[in-house]
Amino acid sequence: MIEFRNVHKSFGGRPVLQGIDLEAKAGEVLFIIGTSGVGKSVTIKHLIGLLRVDAGEIWFDDKRIDKLSEREMYPIRKRIGMVFQHSTLFDSLTLAENVALPLRKHKRMRQRDALAEARTRLATVGLGDYSDRFPAELGDGMRKRAAIARTLTLDPDVALFDEPTTGLDPVSARRIDALIRELSDRRGMTSIVVSHDITSIFSIADRIAFIYSGRVHAFGTPDDIRSSADPVVEQFITGRPEGPMETPGF
Amino acid sequence: MRLSRPISALGRGSLVIAREVGGIAILTAQVARALVPPAMDGRELVRNLYRMGNLSVPIVVLTAFFVGGIMVIQSGVFVERFGATGLVGWGAGYAIFREVGPVLIALMFSGRVGSNNTAELGTMTVTEQLDGLRALAIDPIRYLIVPRVVAMTVALLALTIIGNLVALVGGALFSQLLLDLPPALFYYSLVDNLRPEDLIHGLIKAVVFGLAIALTSCHFGVTVRGGAVGVGRAVNAAVVAAAVSIMVLDFFVTYLVK
Repeated sequence: MIEFRNVHKSFGGRPVLQGIDLEAKAGEVLFIIGTSGVGKSVTIKHLIGLLRVDAGEIWFDDKRIDKLSEREMYPIRKRIGMVFQHSTLFDSLTLAENVALPLRKHKRMRQRDALAEARTRLATVGLGDYSDRFPAELGDGMRKRAAIARTLTLDPDVALFDEPTTGLDPVSARRIDALIRELSDRRGMTSIVVSHDITSIFSIADRIAFIYSGRVHAFGTPDDIRSSADPVVEQFITGRPEGPMETPGF
Repeated sequence: MRLSRPISALGRGSLVIAREVGGIAILTAQVARALVPPAMDGRELVRNLYRMGNLSVPIVVLTAFFVGGIMVIQSGVFVERFGATGLVGWGAGYAIFREVGPVLIALMFSGRVGSNNTAELGTMTVTEQLDGLRALAIDPIRYLIVPRVVAMTVALLALTIIGNLVALVGGALFSQLLLDLPPALFYYSLVDNLRPEDLIHGLIKAVVFGLAIALTSCHFGVTVRGGAVGVGRAVNAAVVAAAVSIMVLDFFVTYLVK
């Protein structure tokens, strides 16, 4: 369904992605893991054209998408939703207005109908009573759930989650995990999750891609990764400070 | 060595200016393309018209009222010396309509609305809200930028008309208080000597200044880099660029639209 072929990306002469090869199947929950600054978020932003590859190819449903123009990316973005790390809800709009925005724009719904639909969508993520609040009035966990509701309004085939549980308390984090798993199991949605939350990774992932030194260093099921004899993978999973892993900035 | 330093600084400065002017030109082209045929978010337009236009009325009224008074004080010395009381209304109206009104209100508008616009867009940029829009397949130019450009241009035009009228009222009042000139004399001096072109001249400037403030403030907002510090730098740059643009464009409009 989704394929990265030898993708390279540099910023200011500093190589970040140095030949990413990755594949996501329809309906699975694929985790992309690795240390901070290794290029996990950079990788998924390429999928919806927020970043452009320096070299390599990206394919979505047998169509090459890395060369598409900004305008040509719009139909792709309706099928691949993204939940950003910092939710990116619009401060000037209430939660309901935030969720109603894509409904107004793409489903041509009137404001009143879009707001009613938005309230229903917010209720499904447990935020029905907070529809008329502004994002600044809510905690991180609630904002992330609202952002998920907004992303799902267009019923995308694929959802990208950029560190969905970072900064959340354990209960909120597990609720987000359960929601991602449910989207895959009940709606057949493909989820690509960027994370270094070990609990999330091993509780809901179907497959895991471990990025290290700009490449996919290890790829497999949670059991494959957990039982890996690779010293870098083993160090990441156990979180030991000593070992062969090079961490940017240390 | 000593000579090369200022030359390289001049070169660096020129490159920065060229980059920003180029960026504003590209944004202008994108906005123009989005306006043919007009495609913008009506809700955003109304929201921006209200907060940029309606909420600016009190500060414009207050400023304009005293500007009218200043015109009378400045001209009062000569009026009394030469006994040219019949020219006070014309003098104040001519200066207000053609220069002082559009320029001062534009500078006020830039400080209040332009800087706020840059800060808001800059914050949206560094918190990835613009990328969030793009990820939802919504064009930030059509959804965010075009309504702001239209709202700022329309708002400044309306505020200039309101400010001009208030400044004239202030001028008439201060003429009575300071020069003991009846308001009727001020009024007839104004309507007998001023031509519609004087008013239109100033309104053309208001439209041009509104576009300049809108485009510079939007450009510096959406090109912010470097978090909160970057937003602060962008606001500063936007206010300076808008003020310089107003003065430069004032020269050209005054020269070309005689």
